[in-house]
Amino acid sequence: MQLPVLNDAPAAKSGCSASSCGTTDSQMDSLPDSIREKVQNHPCYSEDAHHYFARMHVAVAPACNIQCHYCNRKYDCANESRPGVVSEVLTPDQAVKKTMAVAANIPQMTVLGIAGPGDPLANPEKTFETFRRLSEEAPDIKLCVSTNGLALPDSVEELSKHNIDHVTITINCVDPEIGAKIYPWIFWNNRRIKGVKGAKILIEQQQKGLEMLIAKGILVKVNSVMIPGINDEHLAEVSRVVKSKGAFLHNVMPLIAEAEHGTFYGVMGQRGPTPDELQDLQDSCSGDMNMMRHCRQCRADAVGMLGEDRGDEFTMDKIEDMEIDYQAAMEKRKVIHAAIQEEMDSKRLEKARKVETQNFASLRTRPVLMAVATSGQGVINVHFGHAKEFLIYEASPEGVRFISHRKADQYCGGDVSCGETESTLQTTIRSLAGCEAVLCSKVGYEPWEMLEQAGIMPNGEHAMENIEEAVMVVYLEMAKAGKLDTEQLRASA
Amino acid sequence: MAVKIIESCVNCHACLPVCPSNAIYETKPHFMVDPKKCTECEGAFADFQCASICPIEGAILNSFGEAINPPGSLTGIPPEKMAAAMAELQAH
Ligand code: SF4
Ligand code: SF4
Repeated sequence: MQLPVLNDAPAAKSGCSASSCGTTDSQMDSLPDSIREKVQNHPCYSEDAHHYFARMHVAVAPACNIQCHYCNRKYDCANESRPGVVSEVLTPDQAVKKTMAVAANIPQMTVLGIAGPGDPLANPEKTFETFRRLSEEAPDIKLCVSTNGLALPDSVEELSKHNIDHVTITINCVDPEIGAKIYPWIFWNNRRIKGVKGAKILIEQQQKGLEMLIAKGILVKVNSVMIPGINDEHLAEVSRVVKSKGAFLHNVMPLIAEAEHGTFYGVMGQRGPTPDELQDLQDSCSGDMNMMRHCRQCRADAVGMLGEDRGDEFTMDKIEDMEIDYQAAMEKRKVIHAAIQEEMDSKRLEKARKVETQNFASLRTRPVLMAVATSGQGVINVHFGHAKEFLIYEASPEGVRFISHRKADQYCGGDVSCGETESTLQTTIRSLAGCEAVLCSKVGYEPWEMLEQAGIMPNGEHAMENIEEAVMVVYLEMAKAGKLDTEQLRASA
Repeated sequence: MAVKIIESCVNCHACLPVCPSNAIYETKPHFMVDPKKCTECEGAFADFQCASICPIEGAILNSFGEAINPPGSLTGIPPEKMAAAMAELQAH
């Protein structure tokens, strides 16, 4: 089986590399049935499921047992989507209440993760109490956890007792010499251990933990942060090793490093990879997996469906006042989940039929990136000005495929070129760089003009229509209008 | 003889469970060490446990008032580099 590599490029390029095109269906099919079943309706893994289901995180685990050069414990970590210790840390009791409150009010919420703010397994009591209680009190919620792996071997037994859907291990290297350039120290057996020695222990623990989880039949996803000049060439080896041990997914993420984060890499001027470098690495690791591209490096404390954050409705003081009858909620959730499942199944069938009947291969046009404003259900249903994030799709003669998420504000906050005078609108438009059209339910007059000036065609003609169909219609219109001349075509070269 | 946690502490909880003497407590604005309880880990461990896991340089002082983890010792960032980066940011 090919180990799929997930793509989180914040700015996908509009080119289309040969190995990543036209493989929309095959890679999910290459997974064994037992895994495919788990993955298929998972909001983090299945491209279509994430239009219907949602996940949330609770921050119950403040302590950490290692230091990474891309992390500053004070702040939210952009690389591992965990909140900083300055944001609100919940007690297990609060976390359970919050999870059940959200699950009762947002039935689409099916997955609960613990990812920080420190390492969940370095806070075993808090993490496991949360899991233990949720497994008992809200058995219809799947649980997941992310870890640096140091304490993993000691936790596998306990993890296997709960409703754990999958474990994510961040593995940036399998070579201690490289590890010493990423991890300055670990806390191990009552000592702070620095350099190669510390990295070696960490790597051994990660690998041992990975093997133990696989032996227990628990799904393992591996995340790696790509750090140019440090582990970029080495990650193909990491991919090979974790694949051979049974990880079901390898997710390569670009390093995010800015001086103002106060991290080692930020201050020392270590750069992140370009989108091209990231893409090349993913290709050299194992080819690409369409269904995994929607991972959003989601904000660890965001609550709600695609593109929305309803966190404000679930602050601790509001939750304290909520009366939740979870038994009743669970009944309701069951009915809604079944209806969603039915809708998804029928859409999948429909899509499979369409793929068979459609044939654009005679077109010789270049691929185009388009942004879509949606709040789920697979349709275009959000006003341009209300979109908090956009889904980026690529249309080409091979069809339409999902590429990534872009947060409307993600390019702000820390970017030197982003002065304070820049309006939200300008920031949003800037986040759409590389896209040639944006499809939404409506666009106002002012943004319309600005989008056009930025070379992005606004389009509000397909409100409430199916995303992929609308994208294809717009693509064909562009082709007809002669906007897609083949000079830039490189896929078939 | 006791160590002391000062205001640069980021309240990350890491030190609390590793203290063999139960001397550390959570409070606002930051964690504190009860000087009556702190044993400096005498007889239990070779190194101060709190200062061996604390990720923040300078957050824990020894009984002489010196940082147990001085600037640059944990992150590997040379202090002058850090100062330059922060000065650059201030200027913006
Ligand atoms: S030095 Fe040892 S005894 Fe004192 S607070 Fe730190 S961990 Fe506790
Ligand atoms: S480990 Fe350091 S930063 Fe964390 S709570 Fe203790 S003193 Fe504060």
